[in-house]
Amino acid sequence: MRIERRAVAGRPARRTAAGVAVVSAAALALTACSGGTGESAGFADELDPEEEITLSLAWWGDDDRANKYEEAVALFEEQNPNIQVDTNWIAFDDYWPARNTEAASGSLPDVLQMDLSYLRQYGATGQLADLSEAFDTNLDVSGFDEQLLAAGAIDGAQYGIPTSTNTLALFYNADVLDQVGVEPPAEGYTWDDYAAFVEEVHEAGSGEDPAIFGSGDYTTTFWFFCQWLIQQGTEPFTDEGELGFTEEQMAEFLELGADARETGVFFPIEKTKQLEPLGAFTVSEAASEMSWDNFLAGYVAETEQDIRMLPMPSGDNGPQMFWKPSMLLSASANTEHPAAAAALIDFLVNAPEVGTIFGTSKGNPAVAAQRDAMEVEPGSVDEQVVAFEEDVAELVTEPAPIPVEGFGAIEAEYKRLGEELQYGNVTVDEFVTQWFAFAESNVGQS
Amino acid sequence: MSATATADAPVRAAAPRQPRRPGARRRADVAAGYTFLSPWLLGFVLLTAGPMLASLYLAFTDYDLFRAPTWVGLENFTEMFSDARYLKSAQVTALYVFVGTPIKLAAALAVAMLLNMKFSGQGGYRSAFYVPSLVGASVSVAIVWKAMFIDDGVVDRIQQSVGAPAGGWVGNPDMTMPMMILLAVWQFGAPMVIFLAGLKQIPAELYEAASVDGAGPLRKFWNITLPMLSPVLFFNLLLETIHSFQVFASAFIISGGTGGPADSTNFYTLYLYTRGFVQFDMGYASAMAWVLVLVVGVITALMFRTSRAWVHYSGEEN
Repeated sequence: MRIERRAVAGRPARRTAAGVAVVSAAALALTACSGGTGESAGFADELDPEEEITLSLAWWGDDDRANKYEEAVALFEEQNPNIQVDTNWIAFDDYWPARNTEAASGSLPDVLQMDLSYLRQYGATGQLADLSEAFDTNLDVSGFDEQLLAAGAIDGAQYGIPTSTNTLALFYNADVLDQVGVEPPAEGYTWDDYAAFVEEVHEAGSGEDPAIFGSGDYTTTFWFFCQWLIQQGTEPFTDEGELGFTEEQMAEFLELGADARETGVFFPIEKTKQLEPLGAFTVSEAASEMSWDNFLAGYVAETEQDIRMLPMPSGDNGPQMFWKPSMLLSASANTEHPAAAAALIDFLVNAPEVGTIFGTSKGNPAVAAQRDAMEVEPGSVDEQVVAFEEDVAELVTEPAPIPVEGFGAIEAEYKRLGEELQYGNVTVDEFVTQWFAFAESNVGQS
Repeated sequence: MSATATADAPVRAAAPRQPRRPGARRRADVAAGYTFLSPWLLGFVLLTAGPMLASLYLAFTDYDLFRAPTWVGLENFTEMFSDARYLKSAQVTALYVFVGTPIKLAAALAVAMLLNMKFSGQGGYRSAFYVPSLVGASVSVAIVWKAMFIDDGVVDRIQQSVGAPAGGWVGNPDMTMPMMILLAVWQFGAPMVIFLAGLKQIPAELYEAASVDGAGPLRKFWNITLPMLSPVLFFNLLLETIHSFQVFASAFIISGGTGGPADSTNFYTLYLYTRGFVQFDMGYASAMAWVLVLVVGVITALMFRTSRAWVHYSGEEN
């Protein structure tokens, strides 16, 4: 009572306001510091079926994926009546700012979909739990290929469990190629062969309305550069989390597209920017495009045409492709229900029903039980993706590069400079200099 | 306040049936006042002042959202001078503010003067011109705007029909700024309504007297309308300038969050967002925010300073 009165007397507002401000600023700083404790005990604890638990789960994707997740989550809740899962999803680009702010306050969702590009960023800073603690108890990883599972680990700590695999592919639109009378690249084609193909399509298709192009500028996508590096015998990233390539190599790769850029052979950047979020390939104005193989479903749905897949262009030793573990699932280091979080991940990666629900929409399922459970209809998109991954399996000879910390930022910068390059605002040399300067201040800050 | 309080106190103390200490009633009033204010106060302190103080501290640190901030002194501020993307974003924003705002105000004043004339259905027109301001800041309008200026969109078709096809404005770095300024100008409703209110305040006698002296419409505009309207003009100019420094949503939507093509719509706040939430340079982003606060503050102060020369308040001696 007395204290209260004293607070009201005097100059109440200013003093208390200043006090609260200082406290709240301090609180902000504190929560910022407490982001990474790295503590992750309890993942091996037995699940108590009596305890009422609410888990949060977040992923990126579209409506279609949301429906599939909801269906899978409903099954999980049915099998674990004491656990309720609150779901939250958003598009990829908006997903990361949201997670980043949560990470800053140590309030990441209990279980979250994780991308390889961000795994190191979140793992190395203590945001994610080491799930290996839950192996053999709440999380069964016996169905995983060892190398694939290792792709979700950093320095022995299992920060993410891959749910599926992707590999890079060249997509081409057979209907569009028929229309302009050009043959698709032959098996074993090289990067030079592909450049010649792109030019041929451009020449044959320039009379069409709208004009048909061979491809957009494929040298301005960072992952394709990584693929090319591997074919050159260079690991894109070192084990120490640093860049493994030189400025000369980046310039050499960008020069692969120099002639086509100069002579207007590529699909024009002005149009690309206007089509976003669609692309030249999805509106059938480009005959081919490189991308991840799980894009097939989207391409077929958008173009409603005959879309086929080829392995990536070859280097001296063939395509030397790699499986990229995709759509990893991670648990927050701060989760209050580690055992339940591990159980949810276990269900999502192992349950055959979940394999049936998702099909190949996230890539080829990592665990055989889920692959076998897919109801692959003859002639379906799923069948095509599965067949492609089986076909190229022998061409996949390399381990996936583990992105460095800051990968998301350097990948985006590569894309941005790629646009400047296509607009003619920077030269290849300027591109390389600027990119490396950017990478220097953004890669591996630990 | 304190003067009245001391004058009050003896009177209260002498009054019967007032056994409590002097000033208790007044304190209770003050307490009640702050209690009623508390929702706003709490919101201000926790949601505005607190984060602002935190960002002031962070501006002098290297902070990536994941690790504890480390003190780097003025490094963030010095980096801005050598950051080409920062300088470009400052340039783009300045162009937008200093070209866009005058055009927008001119449009608002012109339409306000038209609507100030006496004709039937005037209320309908007023609403019609105001509508864009209500919907203008929304996401959907930015999307529609992009669709209008895209390759083979409405604007491109009109250009085709007059024989000047441009292939769409959205993908052409030289045309995106005019497009963004047009979007801003189109939302002139708020300043227009304020101008209209100002115009209605100008006494008709002034115009009548000028007519008698043989002044034409231009002369009346220059010597009567503008001076009489100058306080309102000043108010609008101030508000719109500050407002357009903060342009974000429309550029974010139209460029898909990138500020493209080729950074031509990479406005200050958009780049700040990119540095903070995409590249995890929260320290640098905080420093950028404080530079913006300072710049807007200085420009506002300058406007107030020059306003003495050109703003005339009624009843004021020249």
